[in-house]
Formats: sequence, structure tokens, C-alpha cells
Amino acid sequence: MKIPLNQEEQQVLDEVRRFFAQEITPELLEESHHLEYIYGGEEGRKFVQKFAPKGWLTPCWPKEYGGLETSEMLMYAIRNEMAYHRVPIHFAGAHMAGPSILRYGTEEMKKEYLPRLATGEIEFALGYSEPAAGSDLMALEMHAADKGDHFLVNGQKTFNTHAHVADYHWLAVRTNLEGPKHKGISILIVDLKNTPGITVRPMITMAGTRTNEVFYDNVKVPRRNLVGEVNSGFKYIMAALDFERMFPWGHYKKYFEEILAYTKTATRNGKPLAKDPLIRQKLAEHATELEVIHHLYFNLAHLLDNGKIPNYQASMEKNFLSEFEQRLSNTAMEILGPMGQLKTGSKHAVLEGFPEWLYRWTIIETIYGGSAEIQRNIMAQRGLGLPRA
Amino acid sequence: MSYELGVEQKMLKESARDFFSKEMNSALIRELEEDEKGYSPKIWKKMAKIGWMGLNVPEEYDGAAATFADLAAILEEMGHAGYAGPFFSTVVLGSSLLLKGGSEAQKEALLPKLAQGNHLLTLAYAGQAEPIAAADLPLQATAKEDGYVLNGVSLFVPFAHVADTIICAARIGSSAEEVSLFLVPKGTAGVAVQELQTMAADKQCEVVFDQVRLSRENLLGTAGSGWPVLQAVLREAAVAKCAEMVGGARKVLKLTVDYAKKREQFGRPIGSFQAIQHHCADMLTYLDTSALITHATCVQLAAGIPCDKQVSMCKSWVSEANRRLVGLGHQVMGGFGFMEEADLQIYYRRAKAAEQAYGDVARHREIVAAELGL
Repeated sequence: MKIPLNQEEQQVLDEVRRFFAQEITPELLEESHHLEYIYGGEEGRKFVQKFAPKGWLTPCWPKEYGGLETSEMLMYAIRNEMAYHRVPIHFAGAHMAGPSILRYGTEEMKKEYLPRLATGEIEFALGYSEPAAGSDLMALEMHAADKGDHFLVNGQKTFNTHAHVADYHWLAVRTNLEGPKHKGISILIVDLKNTPGITVRPMITMAGTRTNEVFYDNVKVPRRNLVGEVNSGFKYIMAALDFERMFPWGHYKKYFEEILAYTKTATRNGKPLAKDPLIRQKLAEHATELEVIHHLYFNLAHLLDNGKIPNYQASMEKNFLSEFEQRLSNTAMEILGPMGQLKTGSKHAVLEGFPEWLYRWTIIETIYGGSAEIQRNIMAQRGLGLPRA
Repeated sequence: MSYELGVEQKMLKESARDFFSKEMNSALIRELEEDEKGYSPKIWKKMAKIGWMGLNVPEEYDGAAATFADLAAILEEMGHAGYAGPFFSTVVLGSSLLLKGGSEAQKEALLPKLAQGNHLLTLAYAGQAEPIAAADLPLQATAKEDGYVLNGVSLFVPFAHVADTIICAARIGSSAEEVSLFLVPKGTAGVAVQELQTMAADKQCEVVFDQVRLSRENLLGTAGSGWPVLQAVLREAAVAKCAEMVGGARKVLKLTVDYAKKREQFGRPIGSFQAIQHHCADMLTYLDTSALITHATCVQLAAGIPCDKQVSMCKSWVSEANRRLVGLGHQVMGGFGFMEEADLQIYYRRAKAAEQAYGDVARHREIVAAELGL
């Protein structure tokens, strides 16, 4: 199904595709895969800094901050194209912190960060989760004491995935110990590379990818790094989820195409896999689910372009996609049989060992960014008006 | 393509919603399930007066020349309201067959009457299963000097018992080039119509052809041209069914959520329990995805873009999603939902009938698989 873009935007997308065909190197793909598609690695930075100055990373931003003032639709289309080509797609800066700075930051803050985010010069890491604040984000405890010209920050974060490659931390802290929990949270921007008292330690996932725990020990953060109003952070986080929760799916379209191509050539016990009715049904089902995801995803852009705020729809897209990924991964393992368990680099590995890795990785996808259950709560409560427990 | 309905579709949809909220109700739905005709001629006349029968008929035949997407907007409201009647068979099947396959004279003779609501049509093509190839068609035609003789039994023919003309697909041999469509007027000798007793009480009929003699004038269009016309109409019918299902799904979600907000157990509304909320969230997902893919497919069909794969994706997805949605509705509504007096059980029965109509999930997935080059 075609993406609804106007002629000019279609030309930009075509240009992006030509750029990818020329500029993507094996080194970039290897690093990108190793970093589970987050931005911040060396090869990724080289690539994005050639790509982003054309406005392609933030096409819907105002021109003065490095955008092209196009539709959200084009932004969604480019991000999905990036996913399809398996280059970095998770930009905590350009696509999460950036839009919030655009909305709530002071002019000074906008000038300081936005142009550098738009060109890919700097990257952020989200600092939300803590050992005792996962799904219940508003229970976060990392304390920022107000010292007038600066905040003094102490505490611990977990699952801060970009922290080891990012330049800045988009940090949720508690600035008010009294009153309702959600009215005591603020957002600070912290220079991760040049601030004393910060320790970043690796946490390795079952997919072999790295996330981090981050410790703050009497860290001084200048007051000018406070985003928007003090104690309004939770509101900003929630709004950011409405506006920026979009999960590109092109890499799964690519994976589907690879499985399809494999199925067309391979035989099992002397019979072509493509003639197996169970496999035909399964792959047709997944092709259909991809079509559904296409519409869920681009409908988010459509809502934004028409001045509407997606809220439950973003949760729906995230859930549908991430649960689909698990179904697709499982189908691939079923089609491949015992060959599916072979890892990258192993003798006899099929599809470069991708299937077993995705089978591990897709478990993480239904958890991070708000678990599937939290997303269902959002859909039920915000989409259908069902009462909170 | 936009994800928004056009202005005209929105207006059509709103007026249809108004119309059916006045004309249809739970008691009438049940009454019509028992009724011999299976529809209300009074409501039919009112619908005709608004001009819905001629919706997809060109202006030269007294129609409204609307698009397939406009028609889908009305169908969605019919599905929502639980409308029962020969609208689908007459308009989605009948008038489309005439338009795509009929001669000029046949269009002139039938379309204006149809547009005014004075001529009911239907289509007989299936036997005990959805035909995949021409050889699967249950009706056999034998060419004679002065015309044709038809024999065979066609099943699941909607509203054949009240149709003024049954259009049937019959084959002379077993290839697609040997399929013709015939106009069979009510009362033709050798044609016997009998209602089938179905789960959804939706007036699907058996039509027996026993040495039925038809002249060449009864051919819809030309001899041997039937298969592609039939396929084109069945594609539209599959998507039109999806539009109906989307409407039904919307209604079921509303019934379910209203109930979950009102019904109290353990001292609070059951809708505050996460087990219930998660069922409702899944229902919302099934509804929204069905509406999105149906809308996109309608737009393609209306634009005349070839879209076999898209149609089959749409029908297989919506059929499955709708069935799951209604099933979850039953879990939420518990004992209340399975009682005869609950409207939910009507939508449960109809969801399965709609799933079976014009190709079930497996059939459409097989089409998708073939389109994928498998």
C-alpha cells in the first residue's frame, strides 16, 4: 500500500532511498545491529551526519532548527525506510527529547540543542526507569535538591539504553517530596560526558545487547538545564508519549521478505516449503498483519498532520507491532526447524543467524517503552474511558 | 489515500445512522429473523425513497452514481444497526453484476426499477463450498439450438425467496471461458427456491435448477464472459461484507464497554479490572485495524485500482478480527451476553456468517499466498 505523501515529499523519500543505496556500508550495518538500532555509535554518527543535515532526520521541524517544515507523514515514511535498511532508528534525542524541547523549552534551550539534534551531532539517553519505578513510573525516587542556581542529584536509574553512547541524559528526577507523586517530577538535561559524579554500568540483555544502570552521586546540574516548569515533568513525559511514541516496522517487513525468499527456494524432506499449506497460510497471515501495521503506523502521522493527538492509537501500534514480531519470529523458527537455532557465524547458519537472535530480541520489544499490559491499560482507560482500578 | 472519510461519506454515514436508529431496534431484529420474508417492506420503501438502492447506479439509469466507498459507508451502518433485508443481494451483488456484465438493453430494463426499489435481485453461484475455479460451479448449462438448459443445486443464495430475478453463474465446460451468467426471472419453470435454516437466520436459500430452459436473451451480456464479471463482483462483495462487519464490531464494542462500566462485582464496576480492560483494549484493536484496512481497500476499489491481494488481506483480517472481538465481548458480558435477550448473541451468529461469506479466512489467505509468489 502506498504512503499518502504529496509529490514534493515523495521526491524527498525517493532521494532518501537513493542515498541509502549508496551510503550504507557493511560496517554500519554491523554496528547498527550490535547496538540494536539505537543511535550513537561511531559508524552511525558518520552515516547520520551525512544524512541529517539535509533535514531528513527531523523533516517536520521548523526550518530555523534544522527541519524542512514538511508533514509528519514524511517523517514517519523516512523513519520506516531507515528501519527497512537496518540503520539506526532509535533517536532518543531527535525523536523524543527534541520534540519536547521544541514544545516546552526556553528559546535559549531550543537554540542550544535543537540544531545539533537535527544534524545528528548529539544524542540523548532517556533516564526514566529506576529499580523501584518500572511500569509505575511516577514512583521514581532519584532526588534533585533545589540549590538555587543548580540541582544536586542523587540516585539510580536502570534500563537507560543509550547512556553509554549518548552525549546527554534526559533525566526524570523528583524535585518535590511532598504531595501527589506525579506532581513532584521534573526533567533535567545532563551532560553525560563532562559531568563529575555519574557512573554508567552495563546491563546485558538476553539478546546480548547492552542497556545501562546509571548512578548519580552528588551531581550538580545547572538550573538552566531544567526543561519547562519545575514539578511538571510527568506531564511532559506523558505528552511526549502521545506525540512521539511511534515504532517503525520496516525492519520486520525486510525480515518477512527474507523468510519469504527462503521459503521459495528451500525444500524439506524433498518437498518445496512454498507448497506446504500450513506455511502458505502462516505467511499470508503475516503479510496481512504487516498491511495492518502499515495503516496503524501511518494513521498516527495522519492524526498529527490533522491537528489531532494520538494517544491510545500509539499504544495500539506499539502493541500490535511488537506482538506481531514475536509471531513472525516464531513462524520463522517453525519454518526453519532445527536450523533456526543456529547463531550468526555458526557453521550451517541460515539467514545469517538472524532468526535465533530475533527470537530472543522480540521478547524485549513487548516490554520496553511500556509493557504490552501497560499499553492495554492506556487503550482501555484513555481510548474507551474505562475507570481506573 | 487519506485515512479520513470524504465529506459525502460522512454525511451518508450520519444520515444512515439516524435512519436506522429510528427504524431498527432489538425487537424488530428478532421479529425479522422469524419473519417469512426476512425483511420489512416498509423500511425497504423508505430506503428506496432516500435513494440507497440506486447508490452505485449511474445517473442515466436513475441512480446516484456514488462510489464503492459511499456504498460501504451505508453498509457499515447496516451492520451496526443489525439491519436485515435484500439490500446486499440487490445492490452489492445484483446491480454491480448488471453494471459490469449486462447489455445496454438489460441495464435499461432493470437498473431504473432496481434504483427505485421495485426490483429485487440476488446471485446464485456457490454450491457446498466457495468455488475456487470455474469447474467448482455447481450449475451446469447445456447449449441447445434455441438457448440453454440449466441443471444443478446452488446453495447459500441470499434472499432468493423474494428475488424478482436471480442472476446465476453456470458453466458449459470446466474452463473460465465457458462460464456464463444468466438472468432467471421469478417463476421460471424448473426453478425451486427453498429457505435454508441457518445459524444467523439470514434467509440464505437453496435454489434447485431442474431442466430449466432459458433463451439467449437470458444471458447476462455475452456467452462465456461470466467468470471475470463474477470474480470482480465477488471481490466487491467480500469488502462490502467487511464494511458490514466493521459496523457490527463497533456496535459490539459499545455494548460491551457500556456493560463493563455499569455492571458491578466485588463492589466496583467490572470495567475497572485489568482482565476486563485488556479484553476491551484488544477489542478496540480489532475494531480499529478492521476499520483502517477496510477503508483503505474501499478507496482502492472505488478508484478502480487492481487489488486482489489487498481485498483478500482485508477479508481475512476483518473476518478473523471480528470473530475474536465478539468472542471477547462474550467474556466481558458473561452470563448476560449469552442469553437470547442480549443483542450480543445476534452479532456473534452474524459474525460467523459474514466470515463464511465470499471466501473464508483460509481461502483468502491462500489467495494472498499465491499473490506473494508462493
